[in-house]
Amino acid sequence: QSFKLLGFLDVQSVPCARESVLYGSVGSLVVGLGYFLATSRVRRSCDFAVGGFICTTLGYWFYCRYNLAQQRIRQRMLKEAVRNKILYEGSHFDPARKQTGNERSDS
Amino acid sequence: MANHSQLGFQDASSPIMEELVEFHDHALMVALTICSLVLYLLTLMLMEKLSSNTVDAQEVELIWTILPAIVLILLALPSLQILYMMDEIDEPDLTLKAIGHQWYWSYEYTDFKDLSFDSYMIPTTDLPLGHFRLLEVDHRVVIPMESPIRMIITADDVLHSWAVPTLGVKTDAIPGRLNQTSFTTTRPGIFYGQCSEICGANHSFMPIVVESTPLTYFENWSSLISS
Repeated sequence: QSFKLLGFLDVQSVPCARESVLYGSVGSLVVGLGYFLATSRVRRSCDFAVGGFICTTLGYWFYCRYNLAQQRIRQRMLKEAVRNKILYEGSHFDPARKQTGNERSDS
Repeated sequence: MANHSQLGFQDASSPIMEELVEFHDHALMVALTICSLVLYLLTLMLMEKLSSNTVDAQEVELIWTILPAIVLILLALPSLQILYMMDEIDEPDLTLKAIGHQWYWSYEYTDFKDLSFDSYMIPTTDLPLGHFRLLEVDHRVVIPMESPIRMIITADDVLHSWAVPTLGVKTDAIPGRLNQTSFTTTRPGIFYGQCSEICGANHSFMPIVVESTPLTYFENWSSLISS
């Protein structure tokens, strides 16, 4: 059963969502509490807390999604490379065979 | 196909749909942060007394002009990237025509000689046990997996729409017009869709079933069905 934040964001199945919200909550607490301890202004501390939540959530979200996108690209390249290796191993198109052939001709 | 009471997307079976799901998640996260901010501001305003003391608010006006512009850019950039990605045409391996009729689809594999068939929904009374009601057809569209497929979609009578959610495809079938779309299936399987443009009494009863198989099986199927 999925848990949807504000009724629409499924934090369990969306990659990076759970971590973003958790880090956002921690960031909000840190910023809000820090400002309150420094200034003792309650109303403004709440404003900073909300601002901290939004900035930390979005900041971690973009960082995590960027890494995820890079990982997916690497996975696709690896999948293609494994498939090509299996397909071409031992054949004329095998790059490892060509390389060995070049080394032999050099020596 | 979708489960009962499913609200979210089906699992993606094509690279474009994967990108669309990623973008959807991104847009929802931006929406969550905006909703949190609006909720907070609403709560603040409900606790304040009404006053008309503010006459000049240059700073806050600057913020609430620039911030939404930034948010729109954050949404527009990936959106446009996917939009242009959807229009890319990768030398297709197979071209398929889908023609909408009242109330069935017909498919023509013009790359082959004499390979075309009609695809009617299997009525519930004739449905074997374990099959999906209102989704199964007598002849599925069989395509090779991991190959770019070009679909040319048109209609014979009224407007229809050829849609398969898991592939991220929805294209209108318009009489007298050929609409082109393309997709690549990333995995083997059976993918369901339904006509997505109101076309008469049996609009809900002309489903689409795409069967993605490895190339060997596709070749076997094409030789069997054309004979």
